[in-house]
Amino acid sequence: MTGDKELVKRQILPYLSLPVKNIILQLNERFFNSLEEIRLRSGQPLVMKIGDKDYAVNLNGELVKSLENVYVVTSEDIYRTIASISDNSLYAFEEEIRRGFITVPGGHRAGLAGQVVVEGSQVRTIKEFSGICLRIAREVKNCAGSVISNVIPGGSRILNTLIISPPRCGKTTFLRDITRIISSSGQRNVVVVDERSEIAGCYRGIPQLDVGPRTDVLDACPKALGMIMAVRALSPQVIVTDEVGRIEDAEAILECINAGVAVITSVHAGSLRELSRRPVMNKLLEQNIFQLGIVLSRGKGPGTVEELIRWD
Amino acid sequence: MGIKTLGICMVIAGFGMWGLLGARRQDKRVQQLKNLRMAIGFLEKEIFYMQTPLSLAMSRAGQFCDYTVSGLFKECAGNLEKKSGITGYEAWQSGLEKLKQESELKPIDLELLKSVGPQLGVSDRAEQQKFFTLIHEELKLLEETAYREAEAGRKIWSYGGFILGAAIVILLL
Repeated sequence: MTGDKELVKRQILPYLSLPVKNIILQLNERFFNSLEEIRLRSGQPLVMKIGDKDYAVNLNGELVKSLENVYVVTSEDIYRTIASISDNSLYAFEEEIRRGFITVPGGHRAGLAGQVVVEGSQVRTIKEFSGICLRIAREVKNCAGSVISNVIPGGSRILNTLIISPPRCGKTTFLRDITRIISSSGQRNVVVVDERSEIAGCYRGIPQLDVGPRTDVLDACPKALGMIMAVRALSPQVIVTDEVGRIEDAEAILECINAGVAVITSVHAGSLRELSRRPVMNKLLEQNIFQLGIVLSRGKGPGTVEELIRWD
Repeated sequence: MGIKTLGICMVIAGFGMWGLLGARRQDKRVQQLKNLRMAIGFLEKEIFYMQTPLSLAMSRAGQFCDYTVSGLFKECAGNLEKKSGITGYEAWQSGLEKLKQESELKPIDLELLKSVGPQLGVSDRAEQQKFFTLIHEELKLLEETAYREAEAGRKIWSYGGFILGAAIVILLL
């Protein structure tokens, strides 16, 4: 637990305004273990997601579920937090702001809310910030250890694997751990196409989370484009990417598999039945593109393996 | 008689020196405004073309300009580098305090520089560039006004000191 408090203290608190920082420092150590998000909304209570539940902080510094008589985030808190996160240089984070979040050292993400400026059909920037969602990135090493023998049966061939999971069930953490294990064992080059910088948590292009020694990361790269780029330029044996679902993603997956590259990816769905209702994914399933499906839930905490499905 | 002559010379020389220093101060203000304008132009390029983080951009701008005005940028860079939660505005304000003590700038010049602080690093490159262009233009106008004032005042200050010294001597005699 102390480790988690240290992590938050070292990598998250320096970005927060002094009042918010002091409030979080006062919290009991046991809460840090399951602290997932810190949400700052201008004029609204400071909310922290601890495990599955949201808590505010009352005027005595205690965590409470009620949002009455609690610490209210000021615009000054937002301004100072944004200034710290961007190192007083928002202009250097234009691309990140367009994508809606800034990744900070350690791979943690600060999601941004405010006035969105649109040019044509593209987001140009966000200004007049009104909210920040600090999401704490955690590595859970060996969380995928129990399924790795299914992903690499016999230790040689890697199966095209689809991780099926509703949001917040740990699929990205799971995917990261599979990447790390494959990259660390055997002589395989792995490429992570990390469109939303969640798998490797890159900060200025450098992975902040352990994705293994033989892993190249295409950070902030659109998935379909990145998969084709990787096959052409980085000679991978495995490509890992997150949250597929568009037609172009499916086409790129087919390209990779037909080029002899294994694909490990994830998709949002609560079950196989839900997944088959999505036309793009259903088409991929019908073509037997994937050989292994791993269904995750929060049943016994994030990353609970509900079901292993073999399609080969 | 000798002491009286020496006294007269000292009074005239003292006031003369005061006048010459006054003229020099006006020239220095013009030079400092010019240096500030160039340093802000440098800062703008670091931000717009290089997307250099503000603390580093300030430090580089500080190396680029002369000693008196470099204090503003170096102080600001130093404060930002501490990463103690200080904002760009606060760091700039502390730099301005240093500049105020070390330069010949007038309150009107410092007021203009104060307006830079709240905008530092808080918007995208295009907005930052627009703002810096505006500040650059306003500094140029101030510099031109200061130059005209210095030109007009140079003779008054230079000769005025000696004349005042002589007038005081006459009155005392």
